[in-house]
Amino acid sequence: MTALLKVEGLKVHFPIRQGLLLGRQVGAVRAVDGVDLEIEEGRTLGLVGESGCGKSTLGRAILRLSPITEGRVLFDGVDVASLKGEKLRSIRQDMQMVFQDPMASLNPRQSVETLLTEPLRAHGIPFDRKVRVRELLEQVGLPSSAAQKYPHEFSGGQRQRIGIARAIALEPRLVIADEPVSALDVSIQAQVLNLLEELQTSLGLTYLVIAHDLAVVRHVSDEVAVMYLGSVVEQAQSDDLYDKPLHPYTKALMSAVPVPDPVVEATRERIILQGDLPSPADPPSGCRFHTRCPFRQPTRCDTERPALRELDRGHRVACHWAEEIAAGKITPRSSGPEDVVMFTSRPSSPSELLGSSE
Amino acid sequence: MNAGRRDNDQPLLSVRNLAVTFQLRGQHAAKAVDDVSFDIRAGQHVGLVGESGSGKSVTSLAIMGLLPRRGVRVSGEVMFDGTNLLSKSRGEMSALRGRDISMVFQDPMTSLNPVIPIGIQVAEIIQRHFNASKSAALERTEELLARVGIPDPRRRLGEYPHQLSGGMRQRVLIAMALACEPRLLIADEPTTALDVTIQAQVLEVLKKLVADTDAALLMITHDLGIVAGLCDTVNVMYAGRVVESATRERLFAQPQHPYTGGLLESIPKLDSPRGAPLRPIPGSPTQVLPWSEGCAFAPRCGNRTEECTARTPDLDPAGDRHLRCFNPLSRTAAEARR
Repeated sequence: MTALLKVEGLKVHFPIRQGLLLGRQVGAVRAVDGVDLEIEEGRTLGLVGESGCGKSTLGRAILRLSPITEGRVLFDGVDVASLKGEKLRSIRQDMQMVFQDPMASLNPRQSVETLLTEPLRAHGIPFDRKVRVRELLEQVGLPSSAAQKYPHEFSGGQRQRIGIARAIALEPRLVIADEPVSALDVSIQAQVLNLLEELQTSLGLTYLVIAHDLAVVRHVSDEVAVMYLGSVVEQAQSDDLYDKPLHPYTKALMSAVPVPDPVVEATRERIILQGDLPSPADPPSGCRFHTRCPFRQPTRCDTERPALRELDRGHRVACHWAEEIAAGKITPRSSGPEDVVMFTSRPSSPSELLGSSE
Repeated sequence: MNAGRRDNDQPLLSVRNLAVTFQLRGQHAAKAVDDVSFDIRAGQHVGLVGESGSGKSVTSLAIMGLLPRRGVRVSGEVMFDGTNLLSKSRGEMSALRGRDISMVFQDPMTSLNPVIPIGIQVAEIIQRHFNASKSAALERTEELLARVGIPDPRRRLGEYPHQLSGGMRQRVLIAMALACEPRLLIADEPTTALDVTIQAQVLEVLKKLVADTDAALLMITHDLGIVAGLCDTVNVMYAGRVVESATRERLFAQPQHPYTGGLLESIPKLDSPRGAPLRPIPGSPTQVLPWSEGCAFAPRCGNRTEECTARTPDLDPAGDRHLRCFNPLSRTAAEARR
């Protein structure tokens, strides 16, 4: 199998300017800071991370919706990053996007029929309006009577189906889905996830699924990449990653996801990270994660930025100490909000509660 | 633990047949909450689970007396510590709120005042309920912020909400809610706006503080995972009514209402093998039958029979739980699925 999409050393930096007229650049928000990815045709790569880690920017940069600072995006061998004008426009036929909030990404004044045929018109593809619209609606499980309706007449799940129908209207090869289900109710999410899988089978689509929900990503992806502060910290086959997470951040992320099973909840290992995500405008030195890492070591972590290296077959991790952690030679520092001072006894009266200053 | 507290026989909060109807002049009445009953004992953690529009938040607002008076009809009983909260005057309720019952809301950005330093906002509650001086209240606030895990609390006292991250803001709200050591804390989706690792931090703080102050907790969420880790008993709501109510062990081990079962099956799980198909609940939460004409879940239910659209099921005791269903998932089927 060959890689349909190959991302090499991709950087997206947003300049921070100061000054009224000339706009001197005083720094940059390093939203994506050196990412390498590969997706084989017909497969699904999941991209997980918390808000602000750069996963959406990465998705947008692949479609050139965000300016690329450095690096290459090879789509079927063509470097998208260097394309311009008509060539860029036409390559986008093969790469489409499904957005998070279908209410915001569908024009409320366009009927479903107009929405679905606009991409075809924009790319000058001849089509039979009635036939194509009916076909698309059928593919996403909507009745053909939906064609004349407007987005507000649908429920959230149906709207997302319209968004998906629009994305597949041009018969793309790659679909980038940015948080495709996070705006939907839990009972609806599964319907949309199943639809994405069905479409992959019937149309041979390649997916890049971007999400913050690890369970969703695990469910749909063949391979998963975990992002933290602009770079990929771990990448592996879906099962390998979940069975044997190697990077401390992946471990923490997985232990933080609440599991709807009281038995599992009561027994599993918990790693609670301290602090918040540092600012991508001023990322920590060395390993980006060292400020919050429960496995942090006195050397290397704060000085040397770890590269993504292959530990097991197809399992890549960016951590200096991954082998030692996996072997259990390094244990996490006691986690939890230890800086929380607890009262030893419960004050019973307001005056006691307030101390003697009253 | 505390002499002033009631013994465990009598529930601290007892909601009986709570119904909330919204009606604006000249428009159709919308029943958001209908016939909701549950109990919370002192120190107990109770979950209220449902999707958006199921009426879980309206239930909490009705308990707190925070619904607008115009265009809203609230009926039923909300007994707190032996008195009916629904019959209390506005003044009585505001003396109670923040002192005996307090609430943590979903979005910390909109529930904090953006132009007042957080220290003042937390201290305000202590000043109001304990008649404390400003300096004493601020001192106590500093202590509270330290307890919820905010580093350098003295400096934070003077900061504005926009200077704090989402997780920190939610901690401030928790500090505020627990400032007067209330006996009941209502948390309405307290971590929905947060990232998972921050959510884990905040839940840990919340859990610890609630245990410490011995408060009862009503946790309102759409996330079954949070409930599984936190609550003693769980009430599942659908279209304004409780459809299943059980201890968390029973509920998760053997969901009996088709909605609960369907919900659990439709969630992708971290530990399930890849490729295991999800079994979604068909239809959408907007396709409901009015409860007056049968079971609201009937249009989406796989176990539907004629009875379901002919009669309205009641919330009846069924073995180890309360269930509002004519055709529950059988035990064997539930076991076979696991």
